[in-house]
Amino acid sequence: MSFLVPLFLAGAAAVAVPILVHLTHRERREPVRFPSLMFLRRIPFRTERRQRIRDWPLFLLRALAVILLAAAFARPFLPGAGFDAAQSGTAREVVIVLDRSYSMEYGDRWRRAVAAADSAVGSLGRDDRTTLVLFSDRAEAATQPTSEPADLSAVLRGVTPEPRVTRFAPALQLARDIVAGSERRARVVLLITDLQRAGWRAEGDVRLPDGTRFTVADVNVDDVPANVTVTDVVVEYGESGRARTTLSVRLAAAGGDADDVVVTLALGGERVREQRATVPAGGAALVRFDDLPATERTVRGRVHVASGDRLARDDAYHFMLRPPSPVRVLLVEDPRATTDEMVFLRRALAIGRRPPFDVARRQGAIRATDLADRDVVILNDVAPRGDVAALRRFVEAGGGLLVVAGPRGAGESALLRGVLRGDLGDVVDRLGGSGGTLTITSYDHPVFAPFRAPRSGDFSSLRILRYRRLAPDSQAAVLARFDDGSPALVEGRVGEGRVAVWASDFQNRWSDLPVRPVFLPLVHRSTLHLAAYGEPRPAYTAGTSLDLSALPEAEALVTGVADDELVVEAPSGERTALQPDERIVSLGETGFYAIRPVAGRATAALDIAVNPALEESNLAALDRAELEAAVRPLNDAPPTTAGVAVSLSQADRERRQGIWWYLLIAVTLLLVAEGVTAHFSQTRR
Amino acid sequence: MTGTRFLEPAVLARISNLELLAKTVVDGFISGLHHAPYLGVSTDFAEHREYMPGDDIRRIDWRVYGRTDRLYVKEFEADTNANFVALLDVSRSMDFGTGALTKLDYGRYLAASLAYLSRRQRDRVGLATYDAAVVDFVPASAKHLDIVLHTLDRMRPGGEGRLEEPLAQVAESLRRRSILAVISDFYADPDAVFSALSRLKHKGNDLIAFHLLDPAELELPFGEAAQFEDLETGRRIPVVPEKFRDDYRRHLAGHREALQRRMGETGIDYCFVDVSQPLDDVLFHYLSRRERLAHVR
Repeated sequence: MSFLVPLFLAGAAAVAVPILVHLTHRERREPVRFPSLMFLRRIPFRTERRQRIRDWPLFLLRALAVILLAAAFARPFLPGAGFDAAQSGTAREVVIVLDRSYSMEYGDRWRRAVAAADSAVGSLGRDDRTTLVLFSDRAEAATQPTSEPADLSAVLRGVTPEPRVTRFAPALQLARDIVAGSERRARVVLLITDLQRAGWRAEGDVRLPDGTRFTVADVNVDDVPANVTVTDVVVEYGESGRARTTLSVRLAAAGGDADDVVVTLALGGERVREQRATVPAGGAALVRFDDLPATERTVRGRVHVASGDRLARDDAYHFMLRPPSPVRVLLVEDPRATTDEMVFLRRALAIGRRPPFDVARRQGAIRATDLADRDVVILNDVAPRGDVAALRRFVEAGGGLLVVAGPRGAGESALLRGVLRGDLGDVVDRLGGSGGTLTITSYDHPVFAPFRAPRSGDFSSLRILRYRRLAPDSQAAVLARFDDGSPALVEGRVGEGRVAVWASDFQNRWSDLPVRPVFLPLVHRSTLHLAAYGEPRPAYTAGTSLDLSALPEAEALVTGVADDELVVEAPSGERTALQPDERIVSLGETGFYAIRPVAGRATAALDIAVNPALEESNLAALDRAELEAAVRPLNDAPPTTAGVAVSLSQADRERRQGIWWYLLIAVTLLLVAEGVTAHFSQTRR
Repeated sequence: MTGTRFLEPAVLARISNLELLAKTVVDGFISGLHHAPYLGVSTDFAEHREYMPGDDIRRIDWRVYGRTDRLYVKEFEADTNANFVALLDVSRSMDFGTGALTKLDYGRYLAASLAYLSRRQRDRVGLATYDAAVVDFVPASAKHLDIVLHTLDRMRPGGEGRLEEPLAQVAESLRRRSILAVISDFYADPDAVFSALSRLKHKGNDLIAFHLLDPAELELPFGEAAQFEDLETGRRIPVVPEKFRDDYRRHLAGHREALQRRMGETGIDYCFVDVSQPLDDVLFHYLSRRERLAHVR
């Protein structure tokens, strides 16, 4: 006899208790009040040197009950003769790999997948050791390798699909590692999936070891699954003063035309509009909701498509409708400048809508208070005067600075240290000929990225008549040059902020840039870049994580409650607390997340909209043979069984024999007998 | 005695009126008898009187009839009204009981029943309660039954008990010979008990000793070892009942045997009473035996 948990045998020492009880005379605490001790006093008092066990039958029952109870807890089992002869070669290492990505919610795929898994569990051999692996874009072993089908079934009952995409590789690699690490010769991997093509990529080695039998249970019974998806919602805010918004909803259809699809828009939980659309198979459609009233506050939005397709999760698109936050600009001008000189830049900044620019103009000396709530400062052809040190500090703290070096512009070396070596240089005259031209040196830069595509903006036709010679610092970047190689636009980091210097003017005197179409987007892109503006996303994708400290829309939440805990409420209602130093939120569900400080200041709350990954809505199927060819081992011949035997683990052996159960029954019967015997013994006394 | 008796001690305990209880007990056992028992058994011949129909034919003096051819019955002293006094031990040791009644309660009901029976027979009744001294004393009188019952009713357990002094006091108080029922647990040396009772006996009184004990005192049924505390003195000794039981019973039996023998030698009626037994049953058997013995005498 062996024991799985021999430590519990120490409990048998408790048999000392009935021994003590039966050896010692228990004395009543309270005295017995007796009429007279006349006769008792006559009896000589004697002591007994040797104690004897009283009431042997009762003692034996109690002692045996204690010993058997300790033995039961120690989980005894009868070890085999080294190996289980009955198991030679039949014990398998089995891995059931179950796809739980959200494409499995299509129709009755999930029901059939679970049924297939249940069937596999039910057909397991007594000695098979099985692991259940669940996967979407990540894979995890949901159970330890077990010979107990009940353990697997219990897990299967609680599994549901999750709003994540399909990736076969991590799951197959995990299955491969499990079977490769097994000492058993017979190995089986069963993949239960809808064979979604989007989930198959050539990533890593997924080929199973030799001798592994690989089987695919395909739960997709539809040749061409029909599905309509909301792919995107674009919000266009009205210009300042008009305050109207337009929502453009993009739809995509697969597996057949989607006729007369009802698209419903809800804002703030209220149904607002409904429209109908037809989406061609394999194509897209755009549904516009025009002239929506602008909102002063952030609102939850939801678009739902009622198309009758069998995958409901991608029929709803959640988004946040946030009134655009303006970029706050301090435009510093020379008091001597005329309106005609300043009009181009002023006008360009006034036109911005996404986002709008909140422009404060300052003529003359700069004060520290002017900078207090600004994101970027533009020195438009003016020498900085006033509290230049405050301006430097402003930039170092993360603010942006654009220096337009026109005729009146003068450098301030302290201000431009780190961008230019020294001040703005001398004026270079290119009046001869047709003037100089401009070449963009870095279309990868955020300022010039929108101009990368053909016919997105032509800088080459600009005419530059005059500019200042700039000497960039070694750490600065030259984003554009004139045709003679002189730097035209230089950008450098100063502390946390950025400084850019344009070597010419914005007055249509030294160059004709202000009257060119590229002027407006260039001013906007430059200003936004220098202000480090990040447009808040209306929605995020399930399966990703958010760093709240890097979200523009979370700035008020994170900075206002730096020392407080945050509470994250998921769409399902589950709440998670984030410690003050935790700012990463995992988005595992689709819908709306609410992030609020524990202290409960409503103004600092943040809502996040989350949608399923779009690629999972593409239900095109993978060719099964292609997958099998990549996964099936090169040699999948079944192992020979002669002379091969497998040993059961002690835990498996003990679980099979279940001796502890019989011991507990025996203990119960002994305790009943003890009770009856004690009662009669007491009565006899 | 015919009929079924239902006067278990537990039943008696529920009768709060002592007079009613006494009446119930006495009427209960008398109803089963052919004739009312007589408590007093005096052997003092007083006189002859002519036989009248209805007289007990056992009293016919056949020698006189042989001489005179006329029927005469003997009349004894007892045929005239006698004194009956119950002497009830109220020491603390009597306040012990493991059943429905303590010995004291049982003794109270016994004394009340005997008093009621005596009064029914037109005897004068009295009462003395004692522990180390006389606690209450009601002289025998034809009008004192109510007082006797009232005194019994309000009686409470006393302190440490002794026999000699209180019984000597009672003996001094009795002006005429009486029937004395001494009700006690007699936790004293047999010689001391006999000495105390002899004093009463020597004054010509008719003594009956009712020795009351509880079943727990008889059997020592306790299981666990414990300190046993004397109810009267408060002294404690450690006792392991299962070790002491046999010796204890032997000592107790010897004590009872000694009492019975010594009392029997001097004509004191000794009656052992287990207080778990029905009172009317005890009285019935005792009085029947006493009557038989009287005829033998």
